[in-house]
Amino acid sequence: MKLSLDISRCIGCKLCQIACSAEKEGVYQPTAARLQIEKIYTMQGLETKVAICTQCLDCVEVCPTEAIKYENGMLTYSEEECTGCNECADACPQGVIVVKADTVGICDSCGGSPECVNWCPHGALTFGCREGGGVG
Amino acid sequence: MKGYIGKVLRIDLNNLTSSVESLNLLWAEKYIGGKGLAMKYIYEELPPKVDPLSPKNKMILMTGPLTGTAVPCSGKLTIAAKSPATNTILDCSIGGHIAGEIKYAGYDAIIIEGKAEKPVYLHIENSKVELKSAGNLWGKGTHETEFFLKATCGPEVKVLAIGPAGENMVPMACITSELYRQAGRGGIGAVMGSKNLKAIVVKGTNGVKVADPKQLTARAKEIMKKDTLSDDNLWAYTDGTPIIVELSNSTGVLPTRNFQQGTFDGFDKIHAEAVKAVRKDKKGCLSCGLGCGNYVNTGQSVVEGPEYETLSIGGSNCGIDDLEAIVEFNKLCDDLGLDTISTGNTIAFAMELTEKGIKDFNLKFGDVKGYLKATKNIANKETELALGVKGLSEKYGGKEFAMQVKGLEFPGYEPRGSWGMGLAYATSDRGACHTRAWPIADEAYGDMDPFTIEGKAELVVGLQHYNAAKFSTILCDFWALSLETVAELLTLVTGKQYTEKDLKIIGERIVNLARMFNIREGFDAKDDRLPQRIYKEALKTGATAEKLLPEEEFNKMLREYYQIRGWDSEGKPTGEKLDELAI
Repeated sequence: MKLSLDISRCIGCKLCQIACSAEKEGVYQPTAARLQIEKIYTMQGLETKVAICTQCLDCVEVCPTEAIKYENGMLTYSEEECTGCNECADACPQGVIVVKADTVGICDSCGGSPECVNWCPHGALTFGCREGGGVG
Repeated sequence: MKGYIGKVLRIDLNNLTSSVESLNLLWAEKYIGGKGLAMKYIYEELPPKVDPLSPKNKMILMTGPLTGTAVPCSGKLTIAAKSPATNTILDCSIGGHIAGEIKYAGYDAIIIEGKAEKPVYLHIENSKVELKSAGNLWGKGTHETEFFLKATCGPEVKVLAIGPAGENMVPMACITSELYRQAGRGGIGAVMGSKNLKAIVVKGTNGVKVADPKQLTARAKEIMKKDTLSDDNLWAYTDGTPIIVELSNSTGVLPTRNFQQGTFDGFDKIHAEAVKAVRKDKKGCLSCGLGCGNYVNTGQSVVEGPEYETLSIGGSNCGIDDLEAIVEFNKLCDDLGLDTISTGNTIAFAMELTEKGIKDFNLKFGDVKGYLKATKNIANKETELALGVKGLSEKYGGKEFAMQVKGLEFPGYEPRGSWGMGLAYATSDRGACHTRAWPIADEAYGDMDPFTIEGKAELVVGLQHYNAAKFSTILCDFWALSLETVAELLTLVTGKQYTEKDLKIIGERIVNLARMFNIREGFDAKDDRLPQRIYKEALKTGATAEKLLPEEEFNKMLREYYQIRGWDSEGKPTGEKLDELAI
C-alpha cells in the first residue's frame, strides 16, 4: 500500500506537507515533511514537482541496524535502533527522508491513515494498492 | 503570544544594511497582523505628507499569526505603504506562497526604508540577508526576473518582483509573485521601484509554532473538510472568479464601455464557461483548499487567470469580447507589472475621451490592437495614459465620467446597480475598492433591494470591520467564514482568548486608524464622493435600465454611515470614538 498523486487534481496548496510536519514533528514546517509537492511555473508552463515515498525499499536495504522495516505493506521505523548514520536518506531516490539531529523521519504511512491524504482537499493524494503507485 | 515569530527584519536601502528587531507585541494585540498591524507601523513611522515616491516612504511586508499554519486559506501577505496613486494609506494583499516563506525564514514582517543608489534585490535565506546588484534585471519583465532569480538562488525560492511599470513609477504598478499573483492596487509597485528595489527573494526552512497545535490541526482539518469544500465555497475550485461575469451581466452590474452600460452583448464570450474551455490546470495558494487559480492556454498566450476583475474591467469595460485578447492583456500586465483594474479603466477612459472628441488617443472601444499597445506604452511611460484616470481627467476633462475615487479606479461592479457598493467605494481607505466591503453579494447578487439606501450604511460598516479583522489574521477574502470561527482559530494559534466581539472591535479600530492616517494627509468628507456619472446618468440596458444612484440619496447614505461610525459631518472620527477604540 502506497501513496499516489493524481497531478490533475493537485492545486499545490502544500496542506499535505503542513499536515505531515504537524503530525510528525508537532510544528508547521513544510520542509520537515516526508513528502514534497510543489506546483511551480517554469519556462515550459505550470509543472508539478513531486517527491513522495514510492516504497522502493532502498532505505530498508541500506539500513545497517534494521531500524527501518517493511511490514504489512508499510514502512516502520524504530528510533531506538537508529544510529543516525543517514545512509537511508542518502539512498532515498525521492529525497523524502528527513534528517534530524540523531534520527531520521520516514514516511510510515501514519500507520495506515496518512495525514497528507486525510488533508488533501481535492482527493489528489490517495493511499492504497493502486497498480504501480507513484505519480499519475 | 504564540503564532508570531516575534521578529521584524528592517532593511535600510540608503546604507544597504539590515537589522532584526522585536515585533511590537502591544501593537499586535491591538491590530493582530496583516492589514491592521502593517497600517499601525505605517501610521507611526511615516511623517505626515511624505512624498510616496520619496525615500521617506516605507514599504511593509506583514504576515499574520495564522500565516504558515494549518489554517486553510492563510497564505496571503499584506504589503503596505503610502499610495502614490491616491496619497492615502495603502495595503495590498498578495497570494501564492511568499507569505509563508517569510515566516518560515523567521520573520513576521519586513520593513523596507530608504532608497538604494543603484538597482538591487534583497535575498533572504533564513537569517542570512543580503542586498545584491539587480543592474542586469532592471528593465526586465517580472517573468524573466523571477526565472533568473530562481536559476540563480535556487528553484525553491519565492520571489516578489516589479516590472518596467514599477521601475518607471507608474501609479498603477503592482508587485508580482509566481508570475501571476499580484499585490495589485494603488501603485505599490511604484513605491518599490522608487526605492530601486527590483525584487525580494525568500527561502525559509524553519517552522511556525502555535499555542495548541493538536487542537488547531484537528479543528482546521474539520473546518476545511466541512466548510471550504461546501457549496458556498466550491465555486472557487470549479470555476474561480470568472463565475461572476454571467451573474453581473444578468443583474446589470457588469461594467461596460467605461461604465456607460451594465450589460455586455459579448458577455458569453468571456464568462466562466469560455475560460474553462481553455483551462489547462488549477493552482492554489499556500494552505488553500479552495484553489481558485485557473491556468489557461489559448494557444497564443498563457496566464493564471483571467480573474473576474480583468474580464470585466479589461474586457467588457473596454468593449473587448475576445477572450484571447484579454488573456494577452492579462499576461502583459502581469509581466510588465501593471494592475489590470487601473490599466483597463484608464484605457476605457481614454477610449471614451476619444469617442466624445475631447482628446484623441487613437483608441476605440473593442479595438484589440490599440488596447494591447496602450498597455505596453503605459508600463514604459510612453503615453499620457500612464497618468491614470484621475490624472488624465485633470488634464483633459471628462471628470464626470472619470471612474475613480481618491485617484483609485473602480473595480468591476456598477454602483448604480448596487447602491451599497457606491458607499463602499466612496469610504474605502484606499479609494474605489471592492475588498474593503463587498455589499453587492447581499444586493445585486443576494436578497437585498439593490436600489435603496435602506440598511446599506450599516451593511457597509459591518463588512468593513469584518474584512479589516479577517485581513489582519491573515485569511483570504474568498473564504466565507464567520468571525466566530476566525476568533476560535486565532485563539488556538495565539493562546490569547479572542471572541467575535473582540474581532469586530479590532476591525473597527483598524478602519478608524486608516481614516486618521488619511485625515492627517488632508482628506475629508469632500473626498468621499463618486463621479457624476453615477449620480446623473441612468443606465440603459438589462436589470439596471433607467437606474442611477441619485446624489441626494448617496449623501443621505453617507451621512448615516458617518453617524453609525461616530464620525462628525466632515467624516472625522470624534474624540470619544478614538478613546472608545483606544487609538
